Amino acid sequence: MDKKVALNISTSNFEQCLKCTICTVYCPVSAVNPDYPGPKQAGPDNERMRLKNADFYDKSLKYCLNCKRCEVACPSNVKIGDIIQAARIKYSTDKPKLRDMILANTDIVGTMASTFAPIVNTMVGLKPVKMIMDRTLAIDHHRTFPKYSSQRFESWFKKQAADQDKFDKHISYFHGCYVNYNYPKLGQDLVKILNAIGYGVHLLEKEKCCGVALISNGLIGQAKRQALLNTESIRKSVKEQGRTVLGTSSTCIFTLRDEYHHLLDIDNEDIKDGIELATRFIFRLIDSEDIKLAFRDDYKARIAYHTPCHMEKLGWAIYSTSLMRMIPGVQLTMLDSQCCGIAGTYGFKKENYEVSQKIGETIFRQIETLQPDFVATDCETCKWQIEMSTSVEVQNPISIIADALDVEKTMKLNKVNL
Amino acid sequence: MDKAYDVIIIGGGATGAGTARDCTMRGLKTLIVERFDFTAGATGRNHGLLHSGARYASTDKESAEECIKENMILRRIASHCVDETDGLFITLPEDDLNFQKSFVEACLKSGIKADIIDPKEALLLEPSVNPELIGAVRVPDGSIDPFRLTISNIVDAQRYGADVLTYHELTDFIFDGTSIVGVKLYDKAGNRTLEYRSKVVINAGGIWGYKIAKLAGATVNMMPSKGSLLIMGHRINNMVINRCRKPADADILVPGDTVCVIGTTSTKVPHEEVDYIRPTADEVDILLREGEKLSPALAYTRILRAYSGVRPLVASDDDPSGRSISRGIVCLDHETRDGISGFITITGGKLITYRLMAEWATDLACKKLGVNAKCQTADICLPGSEKHKDDNAPHTMAYKAAESRHGSLTNKIATGDNYSDSLICECEGVSVGEVNYAINELHVHNMINLRRRTRVGMGTCQGELCSCRAAGLLANSHGCSQRAKEDLASFLNERWKGIAPIAWGESLSESQFTSWIYEGVCGLSLTNNEDRQ
Amino acid sequence: MKFDTIIIGGGLAGLVAGIKLTSEGQKCAIISSGQSALHFFSGSFDLLGYNGTKEIDNPIEAIADLDAKHPYSKMGTATVAALADEVKDFFDKIGIRFNGETTRNHYRISPTGELRKTWLTLDKHFYCNNLENLSLGKTLILNIDGFLDFHPHFLSDGLKRQGVDCHVASVTIDELQRLRTSPTEMRSANIAKVLHKDDSIVRFTEKVAEKAQGFDTVILPSVFGIYDSLMENYLVERLKCNVRLVSTFPPSAPGIRLQMMLKQHFQNLGGVYMLGDMVTNGHLDGDRLMDIHTANHKDIPFEADNFIIATGSFFSHGLQAHHNSICEPIFNLDVTNCGERQQWFDKNVFGPQPYMTFGVVTDNNFHPQIDGRSVENLYAVGSLLESANCLKEASGAGVSILSALNVANNILKR
Repeated sequence: MDKKVALNISTSNFEQCLKCTICTVYCPVSAVNPDYPGPKQAGPDNERMRLKNADFYDKSLKYCLNCKRCEVACPSNVKIGDIIQAARIKYSTDKPKLRDMILANTDIVGTMASTFAPIVNTMVGLKPVKMIMDRTLAIDHHRTFPKYSSQRFESWFKKQAADQDKFDKHISYFHGCYVNYNYPKLGQDLVKILNAIGYGVHLLEKEKCCGVALISNGLIGQAKRQALLNTESIRKSVKEQGRTVLGTSSTCIFTLRDEYHHLLDIDNEDIKDGIELATRFIFRLIDSEDIKLAFRDDYKARIAYHTPCHMEKLGWAIYSTSLMRMIPGVQLTMLDSQCCGIAGTYGFKKENYEVSQKIGETIFRQIETLQPDFVATDCETCKWQIEMSTSVEVQNPISIIADALDVEKTMKLNKVNL
Repeated sequence: MDKAYDVIIIGGGATGAGTARDCTMRGLKTLIVERFDFTAGATGRNHGLLHSGARYASTDKESAEECIKENMILRRIASHCVDETDGLFITLPEDDLNFQKSFVEACLKSGIKADIIDPKEALLLEPSVNPELIGAVRVPDGSIDPFRLTISNIVDAQRYGADVLTYHELTDFIFDGTSIVGVKLYDKAGNRTLEYRSKVVINAGGIWGYKIAKLAGATVNMMPSKGSLLIMGHRINNMVINRCRKPADADILVPGDTVCVIGTTSTKVPHEEVDYIRPTADEVDILLREGEKLSPALAYTRILRAYSGVRPLVASDDDPSGRSISRGIVCLDHETRDGISGFITITGGKLITYRLMAEWATDLACKKLGVNAKCQTADICLPGSEKHKDDNAPHTMAYKAAESRHGSLTNKIATGDNYSDSLICECEGVSVGEVNYAINELHVHNMINLRRRTRVGMGTCQGELCSCRAAGLLANSHGCSQRAKEDLASFLNERWKGIAPIAWGESLSESQFTSWIYEGVCGLSLTNNEDRQ
Repeated sequence: MKFDTIIIGGGLAGLVAGIKLTSEGQKCAIISSGQSALHFFSGSFDLLGYNGTKEIDNPIEAIADLDAKHPYSKMGTATVAALADEVKDFFDKIGIRFNGETTRNHYRISPTGELRKTWLTLDKHFYCNNLENLSLGKTLILNIDGFLDFHPHFLSDGLKRQGVDCHVASVTIDELQRLRTSPTEMRSANIAKVLHKDDSIVRFTEKVAEKAQGFDTVILPSVFGIYDSLMENYLVERLKCNVRLVSTFPPSAPGIRLQMMLKQHFQNLGGVYMLGDMVTNGHLDGDRLMDIHTANHKDIPFEADNFIIATGSFFSHGLQAHHNSICEPIFNLDVTNCGERQQWFDKNVFGPQPYMTFGVVTDNNFHPQIDGRSVENLYAVGSLLESANCLKEASGAGVSILSALNVANNILKR
């Protein structure tokens, strides 16, 4: 008999569900928002019904955060989150609102905003403006927009580009919108570390927003166009130039690697392993004894690490935390791995604000009790949420490593001479 | 007890139920008796195919014509049981494409619409079909839910005044000379014997009709033919897919509700075994191997269960060797045939011709009773199939699912409060309201009955999550927790009967989980080790 | 990445082994592909409850009757007895209290009201030594409105058969009512999450106290706390009568709590717990396993001196059933010779199902084999092991915990 027949193991992934209900325990939404049918119903159960008749598509699937914690918990490898998001893409007839388009188009809005950064920052911070956004755009007035930087990362980088060619080894950096428009320092920190260990940093030939917000706001056509463009640039870097593509945002990296393939149906299998988080790249080099890092003796910090949902799904938190643990002056505590509730643009929407805060409640409480010097996390939207909801500052592990790094000593250890 | 009817019908399959409806509609005082549950026999153990008749067009024009006529009638009167999917007859490279031509000609001669379409178009219409096909014919096949169809006939028969007894087994006939004037029944739940009088008894026992006739002293030459089928985990195809060749094993894939069914095999079995048949491992292998040729997706779809039914094939009276077997309808007047008056056997036929069979049997009964009433079953819609549109219908998944099962009768299901709307069966979307409706109105005595009325336990988990919840509601309704618990155990055992033949891969993982819960955590066991029902 | 011991599988067996090893100073990692079968915990650990249908009073004495391949036989009665004696303390240190004795089984009550022999039962959960004297007095079984995974009538039926004066009622608070808006998500874990809030549990306790007036005992579904037992303790302390909890249909709140607390304890001891990752393959050098690779970490290997495989049975995919064969999917370890598929099953679903005893073949030190050769630094523990029919014998948790402790001790001795 044909070997495939002998399996009775479905490649229709939803059929691998054994109805054990474990996913429902780890869904951050269903316990606080009973309008959401929960991962088991919204995912594998109803997928079967939707195949019978598309009318079974339920609008409440929009409450899914796409945190993938159901997938991490599932003992049968059911891609519950993917099933739910794919169903939204396939069946939803809702047209994105103006508000959704503004929230989703991070790079268009970013370009405009960073050009007029001081004005925009003041404007969106003003109470009357916030109330107007609340009323007209349904962007919750409790939310503080991340500040826009007046100099974009790309502009800063242009001045450094020539220096980067001097190195023997090279990588490409997918900086993402946040680094480009809001926080160029993170990108600069990465360049600092990589240069110290002998790697030149380059940008991709073309980079568009990874599109995570476009996908979650239903702007699939645009998401796919941007994804194809990014994938081509990445392919060129990985295949032609032999440069691994690194990122500093777990969400961008997860989207480029996994969501492009699972949700946008883009074949990126050939380059998937060439896209990774910078902390993983650096960890690998240390683990295989190719490089060493030296840290400043005077760096002292009590840090609590928050595992972003997509980091949990990637399983890569261990790289970021292992690197931070290498810093002698760091005392690291792991926060419970739970969703902080922001989920990208989800928590910015007026209708989700309350749910979003309820989801994050336990983490906020944990942080306030611990009172660390700062929270470390690999995702910028988690950073916003935690900073908006607690009194503690949040840093990316790359920035922490860069701050603690003894650059001269590291360069010497790795025999980097320029 | 001594109660007189015009007609007593033995057998609660589609034919029996249809006959009960027809008889009562023509004003006869009617009782229908079933030894187990409605649809427990061949009615509930087939493809659920709304035959266009195309399959028989080349070999049996009469059957083909009956099929297409009944097909069109059922679309009208039983719309809530029918899924008008249309069907494809595909030719594969290993088949003879010449067969297609004569096939289409035969279809057209029998009045069956049959359009040859381009294989590429067939793939567009039905993406799951084997892409290697070299020919395709589109015919008006569809699928029909035999459980809904039968219960809907029962509900209607009751509206017109029929009495209904399930779990009552015929033990003997009451004779007055050579005339049958009544029946002796054993009431299983009440553990007692009852007698009912009637002017006519109609034997609608399917394959068990052989024994019923024998009890009356008549011989009907029946050939039990076992057919096994597999239920796949979800709806792979939206059109019926057949092979365009002479009928053979596993050559029809029928979409039905949330699943699809591949079948069948065909094996002669002795009469003594018809109560104990189970699908074998070899049959499962044949079904998968051949089924994959219709739709390659079968090879990587989860199998939910396997089941077997017995076709009541009847040999013509003039050929007792059994070689010339008819799939047509056989309606026997035992008065003229065997000298036993007041006794009719209706058998042969197919699920789709149940209504016509009922009509023939009722015509004969009316003739015997001297009643002159026209058959109206082809014109009046079954309960559930009446036109309905409820603008206030809730948009919940469970309501939509219920509506697809109960049609216009969905309004009898309590909804709108948290309790009624909460789900018992999460795979198939069956709410507390729907379960309670079935318990109260659709002759539900146990979990197996409930499954047939609502699809509780028919989904992916095969009862793992839902059966205890459903048992809880049955316990409330019957006021007996102990009985409900025993019923729960035998329900799980009945589910296992269909799972064991295909228990590898995910099905075995699921079964182990179910056992952990019910045997491990709950400590359930089977107290009465019945093999059936 | 380098560890002393790497454990594949993060359920009961894997966590117990991991905690034992890390508490003795080892650097351990647990790799788990999804959450474990602890989520269907009955509230009790079984050691050995039944011989066929016969109840066993003293499990230690009954070990002699087991098959030679049974994990307990491999350990030997003395080792099983010694390890079993440690278990209560082991969990006590983690903050999980059990009642029961190793040499004397007691009864638990199942969610459908059956009284079953068992070994250790979670504190505050239904427990009795003597069926003649349940000493419950006038008893109220209290469900939460609209909670479909707890069956008070079945329980009441079971207790009434033992002569208990049993009554049934239900209770609710607004927050729980709100959860019921969803037709499916009124599940034990979500109820536990709602009741995890201070004001909710206070109000809930008041409501229960009202209903409980005049009763000696209140039986409640075990839905209090998936993170810790704080709310459970609060509730029990505030009520004036006896409180007995009974576990529910899945998911099991006390089981989730057990999983979370064990995992937390393991992490606090410095263990690395990686969830949602799958071990894809390993490299052998002669009879030694050198390293393993996983789906998430791909080219970055996990190296260790010793490895433990605790991937469970068919449900957890530690074993895979193919059309006519059984396999262990990671290393293709030798498994029970199980014959044709027809021989795997009993017709009666509650009969002795042969497939339940299928598993990985090991020597007496729990080294599994590949093509008949033992892998010297790999150990198999838990329900992946062959021969034990954990349902028929009521031995599941015992096999998992004791085989894990036994292997951990052997690793520490080396």
